[in-house]
Amino acid sequence: MTAAVEIKSISYTYPATGLDSSSVNALDSVSLSIDHRTKLGILGPNGGGKSTLIKLILGILKPTSGSIQVLGHSPTKARQLGLVGYLPQRIEAQLDWPISVRQTVALGCTAHLKPWKKATAEDNAAIDRALELVELSDLADRPIGALSGGQLQRTMIARAIARSPKLLVLDEPTVGVDIAGQQRFGQLINTLHEELDLTLIVVSHDMRAVAAVADRVACLSRSLHFHDAPEGLTPAVLAQVFAHDVAGVFGDLHIDAHRADDCDDPTHSHASDSCCDHNSGGAS
Amino acid sequence: MRIDPANIPIIAAAIAIAMMGGALSIFVVLKRLAFIGQGISHAAFGGVGIALVLGVHGATTVGAIGQLTIVVVFSILAALWIAALSRSHKGRTDTAIGVVLSASMALGFVLFTIAESRHDHDEHGHAANGHEDEHHLIEEILFGNILNTTTTKSTIAVVTSAAILLYLWSARRKLIFWAFDEPVVDAYGHSSRSITNLFLSVLAIAVVMSMQIAGVVLAAAILVLPGAAALNLTAKLRPAFIYAITIGVLGAILGLQVGLNSSYPIGPTIVLIQSVMYLLTLVIKLLAPRLRA
Repeated sequence: MTAAVEIKSISYTYPATGLDSSSVNALDSVSLSIDHRTKLGILGPNGGGKSTLIKLILGILKPTSGSIQVLGHSPTKARQLGLVGYLPQRIEAQLDWPISVRQTVALGCTAHLKPWKKATAEDNAAIDRALELVELSDLADRPIGALSGGQLQRTMIARAIARSPKLLVLDEPTVGVDIAGQQRFGQLINTLHEELDLTLIVVSHDMRAVAAVADRVACLSRSLHFHDAPEGLTPAVLAQVFAHDVAGVFGDLHIDAHRADDCDDPTHSHASDSCCDHNSGGAS
Repeated sequence: MRIDPANIPIIAAAIAIAMMGGALSIFVVLKRLAFIGQGISHAAFGGVGIALVLGVHGATTVGAIGQLTIVVVFSILAALWIAALSRSHKGRTDTAIGVVLSASMALGFVLFTIAESRHDHDEHGHAANGHEDEHHLIEEILFGNILNTTTTKSTIAVVTSAAILLYLWSARRKLIFWAFDEPVVDAYGHSSRSITNLFLSVLAIAVVMSMQIAGVVLAAAILVLPGAAALNLTAKLRPAFIYAITIGVLGAILGLQVGLNSSYPIGPTIVLIQSVMYLLTLVIKLLAPRLRA
């Protein structure tokens, strides 16, 4: 069975623009294979190429080199077919719009609708189900501007799943959310994963946010530094990825500190060879 | 009320443009493009200057179509230039509009002077009349004169307005998505850049049509006031479009009624009436906010 997302040796360089005459190498030879129904957390520092990787998976950017297949299609085709849902990092929608929660969710189904055709019964059923899954059915007619922050995020998640995608990409979904909120978010994502048979990609620079949802973790800082189960993640890997002291990143996650020493020990034979391994994208 | 048959082209053009302006104004207001409309309308002045220098003017049917074509093409290029400058200035749309508006107005005035000096040179001995004609023309371009609407111009206005209304209806879903949440539309299978460029081109055409009623200075008002007033009355999208079209058309009919039976200029009268309607809706919104729910 082919992987849900198959990334082979992609690099991406932002071209020089305007006054800034230097091009920026955002991703360097990244390979990553994401199996169906995986909940992958992509962890990395700001500027580490996480958002660029998302744009490449969504087909908004074209890789400078390498190739990507999403659910057996090119990223652009997969997006056009409605196979991919996306939750942006920041909600920049015009919240003073005269538009209801349901109408907002319905926007997720607009790409495939012909101008002269109304939404089909299946579209409406999918919108109702999306609202139900994020527990917003009761607020369906409420204006978008009258929602709390959490309700607004759930509305945008409902919009992302309104076309019943097979891959859901969430970009920094828990920025500014407290720990209780992150746990609730994790529960919601797990529900969606089970109910919709989804493959999930959650991008974050926050270890807790990734730990709350992911069963696999990829560490990205221009190149791929780690790709394995979260248990294999060590302070040494995080130190490499974040390039600074990682005590704060670990917080109360209780990952064994001695693993950092293991990774630095050249005589140590790793149970998981992907630990500390650069570009170990095919490890999954 | 008996309608003078001679006024039918004027009335048809004004109502068609008002309907189109009403529907478009919801997007203009919600997407915060009012200042872009203002920029495009002033930029159109440069297009009029080019047409004059090229000797294309609206005295004949072919001349009217030629002049309109030049102004529309120039306005679309100005709109796309604003979009491109906004992208290169990382979203600083006000800077982009400031640049395009100033450059086009300056170009327009310089070209008017060139056309005027040619006119003086060609018709030596009639300089005084020539100056009067040019100044009258500039006044018409700046503030509009719908009384000059011929059957040809009226037909163009009606057909163009109908085409723009058809475009807005057929592209309504993606336009609403784009105007509501532009940063994510690409991720949902649309193209933000192509929607932006097409909408701004349509806006440029609408501005040129509205210039027939209200001139360069007031054209953008027809593409803003009905939407702004409608959104004072409702918090729902579909009624907002209906109210905006109704307010646009009502303003046009009342303005025509006043203008055709008095010496008041029709274009500014329509804009003034729509402004009063906006103020009335604002009072309604403030006094009875529950009506909007």
